Formats: sequence, C-alpha cells, structure tokens
Amino acid sequence: MTGRPASRDTLTSAEEPVVFVVDDDASMREALSNLFRSVGLRVEVFGSAHEFLQSTLPNVASCLILDIRLPRLSGLDFQAELAKADIRIPIIFMTGHGDIPMTVRAMKAGAVDFLTKPFRDQDMLDAVTTAIERDRVSRDEARVLSGLHARFATLTPREREVMALVTAGRMNKQIAAEIGIAEITVKIHRGHIMRKMTAKSLPDLVRMAEMLGIGPAAGGPQT
Amino acid sequence: MLPMMRNQTLKSWRSAEQWLLGSMVLALAMAAFIWLVLGPAPAAPAYLTAVVLLIASLLASLIMMLRVGTTRRQMEAVLHGRARAEQHAIEALRYSEAQWKEVFEHNPVMYFMVDAAGTVLSVNTFGAAQLGYSVSELLGQSVLKVFPAEEQRAAQSNVAICLENIGQTHSWEIRKVRKDGSALWVRENAKAVRRVDNQLIVLIACEDITERKDAENALRQSEMYQAEAQRLSHTGSFGRRVGSGEIIWSEETFRIFGFDKAPSVQLAAVMQRIHPDDRARVQRTIDRASIDEKDFELGYRLLMPDGSVKHVHATAHTVADASSGIEFVGAVTDVTARKQAEVELHEAQTNLAHVTRVTALGEMAASIAHEVNQPLAAVVTNAAACLRWLDREPANLKEARGTLRSIINDGNRAGEVIQRVRALVNKTTDRKALHINEVVNEVMSLVHHELFSHRVALRLDLAPALPPVLADRIQLQQVILNLVVNGIEAMQQVKDRPRELVIRTLQDETSQVLVTVSDVGVGVAAENADRLFDAFFTTKSSGMGMGLSICRSIVDAHGGRLSASGNTGPGATFQFTLPLHREDST
Repeated sequence: MTGRPASRDTLTSAEEPVVFVVDDDASMREALSNLFRSVGLRVEVFGSAHEFLQSTLPNVASCLILDIRLPRLSGLDFQAELAKADIRIPIIFMTGHGDIPMTVRAMKAGAVDFLTKPFRDQDMLDAVTTAIERDRVSRDEARVLSGLHARFATLTPREREVMALVTAGRMNKQIAAEIGIAEITVKIHRGHIMRKMTAKSLPDLVRMAEMLGIGPAAGGPQT
Repeated sequence: MLPMMRNQTLKSWRSAEQWLLGSMVLALAMAAFIWLVLGPAPAAPAYLTAVVLLIASLLASLIMMLRVGTTRRQMEAVLHGRARAEQHAIEALRYSEAQWKEVFEHNPVMYFMVDAAGTVLSVNTFGAAQLGYSVSELLGQSVLKVFPAEEQRAAQSNVAICLENIGQTHSWEIRKVRKDGSALWVRENAKAVRRVDNQLIVLIACEDITERKDAENALRQSEMYQAEAQRLSHTGSFGRRVGSGEIIWSEETFRIFGFDKAPSVQLAAVMQRIHPDDRARVQRTIDRASIDEKDFELGYRLLMPDGSVKHVHATAHTVADASSGIEFVGAVTDVTARKQAEVELHEAQTNLAHVTRVTALGEMAASIAHEVNQPLAAVVTNAAACLRWLDREPANLKEARGTLRSIINDGNRAGEVIQRVRALVNKTTDRKALHINEVVNEVMSLVHHELFSHRVALRLDLAPALPPVLADRIQLQQVILNLVVNGIEAMQQVKDRPRELVIRTLQDETSQVLVTVSDVGVGVAAENADRLFDAFFTTKSSGMGMGLSICRSIVDAHGGRLSASGNTGPGATFQFTLPLHREDST
C-alpha cells in the first residue's frame, strides 16, 4: 500500500487520481488492487466501511468501489452514511447476486455503476474512468467556488454593497445616489473590487457574482 | 199436589155411599110407619103391591149398595196401591235425578251447554270451578269469555261446525283462559242437538289436557333439539326392530343417505346406497355383529345417485334388553367434510414439505453460489490484471507471477468451499442400524395419497428377514420418496396401460441390500441416461434437477450406488445398493 499525502489542501486537481476499494473479501481486494495498478491507477483498499471512514482521504479526484454485501454496515447503508457526512465521492457497486431492487436503490442514491461479480475487467475500468472524470469536474467546480469565496471575503462591507449593485447593472451615478456617496468614491470602490476579485472585465465580475449567488440588497428594476 | 186430589175424590165417594144408605133406611122406616098407623088393608091389593114394591126396591137398593161398596173398596185398594207405586217411582226418579245432578256437577269434566248464539245456558260446577268462575258468573254470558282473544275465532267456528251437523260429535283441542288469566289446554267433545222446545243447543264436554300438551310440547322441543343437534353434527341415528329386521332412521340419517323420509327402511335398500367397493365389508361387519351380538364401528362410503361419494362413520350398540323391540341402536356420522379436510391437509403438508425442501435447497445453493463466486470473481479479475501486466512494454513479469499465484490461491479456496459443503452434508447424518423394509413402509404411508390421486397401483415385493443396514433413516426416506415421486410423475402421461409402481427389496449376489423402484412411465432417453444424476439436469418443467443428484450423493455417502436403467417393457427402474451393517463396525 502506498503512503498517503499528509495534507489535502496542498494538492491540486493535476495530482494523480486514486481508486478506493471497500470489500470484506481479501482476495477480491487484492485482485482489484492488482487490476488498477496494472493500468497505472493509484489504489487504496479497505476491509470494511469503518476502516474507510477512519482514514484521511486525499483531496484528489477519486471514486469508491463498494461490495454491496458488507459485514455489519451494508453497501447501501454505507452509501447513505457518506451522503449524510457530505462526502461526495462517486460510488461503483459490486454484487455477487444481481439483485434488482438493490440496484435500483443504489442507482437512485447516485451510484455511478453497478457490476455483478465476476465482471469484465474493461467494464470495471470504464466505470472507474467515468467516475473519476465526474469527480474531477465537481472538484474543479468546488475549487473555483472556494477561491471566489476566499477573494470575496477580502472585500469591505461597502465594497460588497457596491459590487452587488454594479453586477446588477447600475450606473456609478445611480449607485452613488442609492447609497448616498460621491460618484468618485464609487469609482474608487469599483477599482478595488475588480482588483481584489481578480476580475478581468465587468462580465467576468457578473459571472463571479452569479456563482457566489449575490445580488443587490434592495433589488430595484434593472434598466 | 196430585196425590192429595185423588184422596179427596175417594172421600166424596164414601159420603155418597153413606148418604144413599141413610136415605134407604129412612124410606124403609117410613114404609113401616105407614103400615103400622094405617093398619093392614088386605083389601087394598094395590096398596099392598106398593108396599111390596117399596120393600123390594129397598132390598134391591140395599144389595146394590153392598155391591157398590165392595166394588168401591176394591177400587180403592187398587187406587191406593197405584198411588203408592207412583209415589215410589217419583221418589226413585228424584233420587236418580239428584245422583245425576251430582255426577253432572262434580264429574271431573267441564260441561257446557250453549245456545246457537254461544250464550252459556248451563255449566257444571266443576267446569266453572276449573275456569275459576262460579256457575252464576258464567250463566247467560257468552262462552267466548273463557277463550283467549286469539282462540275466539276458532271457538266460534267450532261451534258453527257443530250447528251445521246436528247430532254429530266433533272434537278439537283448544286453549282456554281462566278468570285469573292463566291458560289451559282442553280437548272438547261437542254436539248440537235440538231441544224439545225446538231450540238448537250445543253440548260441550271438555277435559283439561294441559299436562299432556306440556309433555307433548316438551317432547316436540326435545325432538327438535335432537334433530337440530343431529343436523349440526351430521350425525343420524338408526335402530333395527327385532323380528321384522326393519330399520328405523332419524331424519338426519335419511338426509345423509339421501332417502325420502319413511317410517322404516329395508336393509337391502341401504346396502344399495353403500359404495360397491365397501358393500361386502359392511355386510360382513353387520353379519358378524348380529351373530356375536357385539358393538361395532366402521367407516365406509356411500355412492349417491348423483355420483358423488360420501364418507360416513357408523357405530352401533346392541341392546341387551329386547323388550323395547329394538335389537341395536347406532349413530352414523357424515365425515365427508372431515375426510376432505384431511385430504387437503395432507396435500398442504406435502406441498409444504416440497416447498421447504426446495427452499432449503435454494438457500443452500445460493449460499454455496456466493461462497464459490467470491474466489471465482477474484480469479477472473486477477487473470485480467495478469494479462495487462504481460501486455505492458516491457512486460512486468514480477507482477504477473504474483498475480498468477493469487489465481492459484483463489482456485484452491473455491475448491475448499466445495469440500466444506461435502463435509457439512456428511456431518448432519445420523446413521443407525435399520431395516430397509421399515423405511420403505414409512415412505409408503407418506405417498399413499399421492399414489391414490394419480391412480397408481403399488406393488411391494419386500424380501423378508433382510439383514439391517447402517444408514440415516431420514436420508434414506428422502431417496426412496424421491424415486417414488419420480416414478409417479413419469407415469402421469400414461393412459393406455395400468400405472403400476413396483418396489422391491432383496439381497444381491454381493450380499448388499438392493432396493429397486420400477415404473411403467416414459422411461429414460438414451441420450439422457448418463446425465440423469447431474445436478440441475431435469426433463421436468417444474423440477430443479437436484432430486436425483442429491439422491446419488446420499447413496454414495452411505457407501452404496444408485443407478438407473430402462425396462425391457415400458418405463424405467432406479435401484440402489446399501452395504450391510456389521456389529463390529459400530
């Protein structure tokens, strides 16, 4: 087993993705580990859901391969547990018995795929590729959003007020009248906002405002 | 009054006689006087003649008087006698009348005399007293007074009927009501007569039958309860009369046998209703019971006219004291529903046993499948990984070798699972020395119904005095049951020949115990012969294909051998051997 990265914050999306395997059967864990390593994928295996939850997860694109029949906590219950803990990781289920109700439940709860043992290796690899890609996209989105949040946090209360009005399409003069400051002061605030938010243009700033979900406090009609 | 008048007449008679006698004495004295005063006058013959005539007439009168007196006395005596007799008769009549009156008044029968309008003309004291009235309270009243409102119409019409048929006696039973409101049942005999004065009257004599009515009602009610109880319990009663051999049935017995109700039935008719297959047996039982005078009990079937079959159970008890005129009494119960329930229960049990077996087998199979599937999936995944290691540029032989080692381990693990299942099967057996014929008979009791419902005739050819075998009773039963059920199913399509299943036990040339089960069914197709005992091989639409496979593993585990062969005629024979049990080996 490979060593784990010490901190998740320092890692970026460019880092190597990792496949997590949770199966109570040791030979199955080993076989899966073997298969993923043979195609150059990083893999980490766990004997139980508990073991997986105890470990510190690296902040990289990843997916989880889960045997639906796990001792104590079943695969489906484990899936629910992860959702409750807000751990959004794509899950691929494996089962010895093609149980339709179970499949339906798993897929409804957001499973990426459902494979019956024994499965074709290519089916498993395809499912893993899809899952990791899905995770990479959602991680990228999350990272962009958290950057925005961080930058938005550096704005003063007055600047946030001005940014909401600017992105709502108000002219400097209107803004000045609305919040009772000089037009020149509005211009200075705008300059600070553009710099702090690293916005290249007004449309760029408007997109950022949309992602942050901010609007004018007193939402007047847009002209 | 009348005798007194007669006496007066007699007296007047007497005074007339005296008066006549007196006047005659006076006339004689007068003649004598004339004769003495005037002296004899012989010269006067006319005068003399007158005197003579006078004397003669006097004498004649005297004689007449005496005659009349005698006659009168005779007559008087006759009259007196007659009066005495009359007096006597009157007294006797009076006595008789008093006596009859006494009878009328106090005879314990209520007498009423009513007119055409129903007004009470006369009633005896007893009658009035019985109804709580005095005679005077009823006289002149409408007779309807003593009837309850709901019976008044009947009473009126009864009287009317009597009036229409004068002189004829009618009788009826009716309810009356006493003065205090209590009711009584009476039986009335009545007849209308025309009186001397031409008036139509109705004479009614009535007798209190309340007790009898109560007893009748009680009896009727008891009979009704009994009939109801018989109907509810589907049990009828019967008895046989001494001598005539007539059979008396209760209503329910008639219903059970489907005969119309009659006072009695003949045994021959009853026997006709009994199912032909049971008739001889029933006759034998009855004959034996009649000779031995013993109680008997038997179950048999009735074949009804509509072709349906009823199952009945009869018990009879001989009556020691034949003074009642009954030889024996018995009860017959319609147990068709119970039999039906038994059959259904048996079917349900068989189905349940089958389902349980299949379920248990299914669960075991699922569990085995899971156990084997795990290493199998690992093998497949490892093999795929191994190929990828080898396909690398350059091939990673170290990883490929490690992967192949894993594959060997996984393969061995799958083998171990199978070993464990085998061990499990052997561990649960409970082997004891037992007689194979007993086991066969036990199975037969289980499949009796199955054989019957599929119209399969069973022939048992069990060798006596076979040595015991060491085996698990339940497992052996399972094997035989499986072979028998297979045989029955194999003959399901057979229509052109009798379906026969033969089970034989014998000791073969190697002195092993041999059990064969032969049917005349579809037989075994040559291409299937060697696959018969494979797991999951089946020619049946509803089978799992585990039966013969399990049978073979059981027989194998017992150190025997199960094989199948086609018969020279139609059908197939399955046979298995079992080694003998040796005392020293236990």
